[in-house]
Amino acid sequence: MINEWLITFRSVTFAQRAERALHGRQIPCRMQRTPKYLTERGCSYCLRLRGMDALRAVEILRREKLAYEKLYAVDDNGITEERIL
Amino acid sequence: MIYLDNGATSFCKPPEVYRAMYRAIYTCANPGRGGYAAAMEAGKVVFQCREAAAGLFDCQPEQVVFTSNCTHGLNIGIHTLVRPGAKVLISGFEHNAVTRPLKLLGAEVQVAGRRLFDWEDTLSDFEVQLRRGVDAAVFTHVSNVFGYILPVEEMAALCRKYGVPFIIDAAQSAGMLPVSLKKLGADFIAMPGHKGLLGPQGTGILLCNRLPKPWMAGGTGSESMNQEMPEYLPDRAEAGTLNVPGISGLEAGLRHIKRQGVDEIGQRERYFAGQCIRLLEDRGFKVFSGEHQSGTVSFLPQEDCEELAHKLGRLGIAVRAGLHCAPLAHESAGTKDTGTVRISFGHDASYRQIMALKQGFARIMD
Repeated sequence: MINEWLITFRSVTFAQRAERALHGRQIPCRMQRTPKYLTERGCSYCLRLRGMDALRAVEILRREKLAYEKLYAVDDNGITEERIL
Repeated sequence: MIYLDNGATSFCKPPEVYRAMYRAIYTCANPGRGGYAAAMEAGKVVFQCREAAAGLFDCQPEQVVFTSNCTHGLNIGIHTLVRPGAKVLISGFEHNAVTRPLKLLGAEVQVAGRRLFDWEDTLSDFEVQLRRGVDAAVFTHVSNVFGYILPVEEMAALCRKYGVPFIIDAAQSAGMLPVSLKKLGADFIAMPGHKGLLGPQGTGILLCNRLPKPWMAGGTGSESMNQEMPEYLPDRAEAGTLNVPGISGLEAGLRHIKRQGVDEIGQRERYFAGQCIRLLEDRGFKVFSGEHQSGTVSFLPQEDCEELAHKLGRLGIAVRAGLHCAPLAHESAGTKDTGTVRISFGHDASYRQIMALKQGFARIMD
């Protein structure tokens, strides 16, 4: 079962804009460094949010033209898998 | 001290600027470089300043690039738009921050509009040169020497009409006149953080409407595996650790401006500049004034301009004399050999300053 989602961004500024937008819509999320195994090009930041909020969050980011890189589902066992919503 | 050299830097910043810098030094590590609390706090401080600047200058936060001063931003913009030998159109009132980088690049510089306070002359000359064909244009919003507010909206429209990329030097207008990246459509707008924006020295902003060429390369906290600078803003133009205490102070300055209102600050400065012009004319000085004047006034005394500035300085009145790093502007106004004395008002312009000037001149001259 999907427990959490990670949304990755190219830079800290994009992640911050997205965090601001989601908080503004009462979607709880936390910005953090992207796990190393998810970053092909090196350092970046991501947003961690609850499983139930992912679809709404992605809709908001698309509507506000806040480009993210990739979307990962994290299951109960901590296994991460890229998803497209 | 009666401080009347805001054209050089604003002095005695609002108290919240000092407090913000002090707080940042104690709470902020390196922004965008770690995930622990002090690094995230630094990132938050930087982002808040980007947002505040984006709000004031009508753009997106990532279009706000932090620089170390206005000159730094102008260099990034100029090196992006101008290749060696390119034809570049500038106004007759440019600072060395524009003319020296162009000289360094070996650009073929064409000067348009040399009559002070004359929008018609500026615009007609500008259009003639644009029609003849240039590769780029760089022009100031306000002359740092004479306070001449150039018709930048119209100049920007002409550049767009002729398809010429352009840079605006907002060193003397940011925080005092409305500046909109969206409305002006400039490729770049450069400004200092420490003048009208009331931040500390060592800060500046470059507003970007296009991806700049990296002026400096290095770590950005993003795409570490990539040996090229990132292809996106602001990272592409922000190599190395940012001046977080400075940016924190700048953000406090921007908040202060938002509370006071850009229009109100500009009107206040212009009002007291008007009072100052009357005082200087009563004293018999040759005053450079006209319509479209900011809160900056230049005048020519009977004695050497540096001597008079020195005498005023000894009375505790701070003004700047000489060529103000803008020989081209002095050449346009015919004051290259003499220089001028410049009085430049700031956000705290007041009758007290006018009275001090009046008394100062009386002590020196009567």
